[in-house]
This record gives sequence, C-alpha cells and structure tokens, in this order.
Amino acid sequence: MIECTHVYKKYRNGTNALYDINLNVAQGEFVYIIGPTGSGKSTLIKLLDGEEIPTKGTVGVIGIDVGKLRHSKVPIYRRNIGVVFQDYRLLPSKTVFENIAYALEVINMKKDLVRRRTREVMNLVGLDDKANSFPNQLSGGQQQRVAIGRAIANRPKLLIADEPTGNLDPAMSDEIMSLLEKINREYGTTVLMVTHDLTLVNKHRKRTIVLEHGHVVADLAEGGYVQHDQ
Amino acid sequence: MINRLFRPLKEGFRGVIRHGAMSLSSATAVTLTLIIVSLFLIFTVNVNQMTEGMEQTVTISVQIDHDHESAEQEDQLAMEIKAIEGVGSVTYYTKDEEFQFYLDSFEDEETKEVFEPFRDDNPMHDAFYIEVTDGTQLEEIAKKIEELDGVHKVAFGGQSAVQLISMLRTIRIAGGVLALALSLLAVFLIQNTIKLTILARADEIAIMRNVGAKNGFIRSPFVVEGAMIGALGALIPMAMTYYGYRYLYDVTGGYVVSKMFTLIPAKPFALYASLVLLGLGVLVGLIGSFFSVNKYLRWKR
Repeated sequence: MIECTHVYKKYRNGTNALYDINLNVAQGEFVYIIGPTGSGKSTLIKLLDGEEIPTKGTVGVIGIDVGKLRHSKVPIYRRNIGVVFQDYRLLPSKTVFENIAYALEVINMKKDLVRRRTREVMNLVGLDDKANSFPNQLSGGQQQRVAIGRAIANRPKLLIADEPTGNLDPAMSDEIMSLLEKINREYGTTVLMVTHDLTLVNKHRKRTIVLEHGHVVADLAEGGYVQHDQ
Repeated sequence: MINRLFRPLKEGFRGVIRHGAMSLSSATAVTLTLIIVSLFLIFTVNVNQMTEGMEQTVTISVQIDHDHESAEQEDQLAMEIKAIEGVGSVTYYTKDEEFQFYLDSFEDEETKEVFEPFRDDNPMHDAFYIEVTDGTQLEEIAKKIEELDGVHKVAFGGQSAVQLISMLRTIRIAGGVLALALSLLAVFLIQNTIKLTILARADEIAIMRNVGAKNGFIRSPFVVEGAMIGALGALIPMAMTYYGYRYLYDVTGGYVVSKMFTLIPAKPFALYASLVLLGLGVLVGLIGSFFSVNKYLRWKR
C-alpha cells in the first residue's frame, strides 16, 4: 500500500526535514504518525500526496512512484487517495453538498450517481440536514466531517488525515476519531493519521510511528505512547 | 458530453454571482477602460475617414492649350497623364462644359448675364480633372504634368491642400498610436483586476487540485467567468457608444466645422463600434483569466 524506501527530504531553503525514512503500510491498516512540531510529519504527508518531491529515495503509494509524477498528473493520482487537513480546506463558495459532490464531478461521474453518492456520504458523516449550508455557517467539527466526507466520497484506498482533530475540542475529536475508525472498518480503507494528540493515541490504540527530527524513532505495532524526556 | 460543455458555463455563471462584489469591481474597471478606448476608437476611425475623403476630393485640374484641342492630341495627352505613377482617374471636360460650370458657380442671375456673351467666344480651356491615389504625391504629380506637351496650366489646392493632408495624416497616425497604446493599457488593467480576483481564490484552486481536479477542469469555469465579467463591463460603454454616437451625428448634422470633415454615418458604425467593444471586453476577460489561473495552478503541486 505505502512503501517508502530511503526517503530523504531537504527543502530548498536548506532545512532538512526527513532522513532515510523506510515505511511499509499494508492495505486496511490504521496507523498514527506522531511526533513534536518540526519532526517532519507534515513533510511526510506532503510527499505522500504528491505536493512535495523527495530529494532522495522513492515514495510508492498503490504502486505509483509519487515523486516522479508530472505536474498535470498529480491530481489524477490524488483520486486514489483522500486527504483531510487540519484547516479543513473546503471550497468557501460552495455548499456542503457541492463540496462533497465536487470530488465526484472531477472524476466525471454521472450526475445522478454523484447525487446519490453525495447523499450517502452526508449520511455517513452525519450531516444530512446541512446540505445547503456554506462552510462558514458550520462549526469546526462539522466542517471537518464535510472534509472527511469529501475525502472518502470516491472510495479511495488510502485516507490521509493531517491533524484532523487539531482544532477541535476533546468531545469533537472523539467523534471524528470514531468516524475514521468506522471508515477503516467498513470500507477497508487504509488510514494514516498524523496527530500530536497523545490522549487520543493512548485511548484508541493502533500501530504508531514516532517521528523525531526527521527520523523514525519508533514503530509500535501494539500502539500507545508514553512521552519521555529527551 | 453535453454536461462537459455545459458545466463550465454554469459554474462560471455561478462564480460571477457568488463573488458578486468582486465581479462588480472587475467589471467596473473594464467599463472605465472601455469607455476611454471607445472615445479613441471613434476619434481615430473618423479622422481616418476624413483624411481619406480629403485625399480623394483633392484633384489636379489640367487646362489644355488652345492649339492642342484636336481629338488625337487630347487622347495622346490623356495617355501620357495616365502613365504617370500615382494618377488615379482622369476625367475630361470640354471648354463648353467648363464655361457652364463657371456660370453655375454664380448664384445671382445678373452676374450670369454679364458673362453670357462670352459663350460664343469661349475663353475657357478643355480640361482634365485628375484624382491621385496618394495625397502626399500631389505636388510631384502636378509638376510632372506641367512638363507635358500641350498643357496650358496645372492647378491644385496648392500648398495649403498639401499641408492639410499631411496634418491630417499626422493626427491620424498619432490617434492610431494613442488608441493602440490605450487598448494595450486597457488589456493590462483588465487582466490585472482579473488576476486579483483570482489571486483571492488561489487557495480554492489549490484545494481543487487536492481533491483530484485536472487543470482544464479547474480552468474552464474561471475562463468563462472572466469572459462574463468582460461582457458585463462592456455593457455600459456599448450603450454609451451606440446612443452617444448617434446623438453626436444627429446634433452635428454629420460633419465637423465644414462639409469637408464628414463623420462616418451612424447607422452601421455605431453598432459595429459597440460590438468591437463587446468583443474586446470578452476577449480580454477570457485571456486574462486564462493566464492568471495558469499561474496559480502552478502555485502548488
């Protein structure tokens, strides 16, 4: 599913973000990536969704060498993965319904199928009654659920969530968490979740990969993480 | 298939509506620049027409010597004149016709009667009237004709006619250059405002790429939106040009200062000019948004 081999990333301004990352994630797994600010979590996500190109090594996702994709092919690759961001990234001038439908329209799905699938997804994320609301009329938790809905609408094999609970209170975070677990369980979608919310990680135990200063310092199959002093 | 063609139109239209304030401000910029373009367009095209009209009305009159009035001699002379470069049409009048013209130039009957006795002892000459193809060569051609055999006298508007033509020519070129420069400025201005409206939505474009939209899919509604803003902004200048020019034409009676400076008839021209403005607005909106979106498509991978 995800195969990173000897991945290095050095930004143009000289910052070293990742060193020799080797990572394997199988289909259907639910994996946390945790680590302090500046540990390279976001860089890893950007490499996986094609926003950045690795300096060295290969980033393979569902058999595609992501770093080698041409600019115009990147969006087409992204149809295979769903990404959820901390800041939601919804289209502000589109309604909830249109935001979710947009992800389906871009793959030229037939209109009636788009409508049916959008309703289905809105039901799944629990926003049936918000179809005609605009993003700025929703709470943070609701917006994040729209973003998740959009990310999974075309049934991607991989869902990447970049600090999906970063802006939410604990109750909301739990809600989002169960939604992600449900998607992982029911659709068999591989979920990669970046977070620094340790309470969440310890409560819902999953395989946990720990990044620090651009290195993988731990890969705990049984999950759970105890913060330690350096 | 139909959906693919229809979607950009629908989305573009929706974009104009949902970003109402932004669309309106861009459209206003289009409106202002197109009004200026319109003024210069009307000015230049009219001056152009006047110069051409002037050049055509300036003729060289060639009086034929009394001892060269036989048909063969006159034919020979006509041939020689036509052979000169820059000579357009050559029209022949007999001395009787010339005399009649002269009489007709007086309005009161008394003067006409004074000259009437000269009809039988006609002092006039047979004459050629020559139109030139290029007004600037007037003097040169007149000189060449003067040197031909059997020419009594050559007359043209003289130095003042030559000067007027060259002056109009300068105005025409200056107006043309100014109109062109202004049009370029308009294009630049409109493109800039459209770029700003798109800049405000650079995030939106990045999000669209994030969810898997191909570049063409993202671009097409923006391009439609740009064209619509261009068309919207052209509405007022179009109306002003169409009705304004017709009004101007009616008020002036179709000419400025003297009959020599006639305006282009309002009937088809006002319509064409306003259509040119519409075309310009749409085209610039279209091209401006195309390039701006392209730029922001590259903003994020």
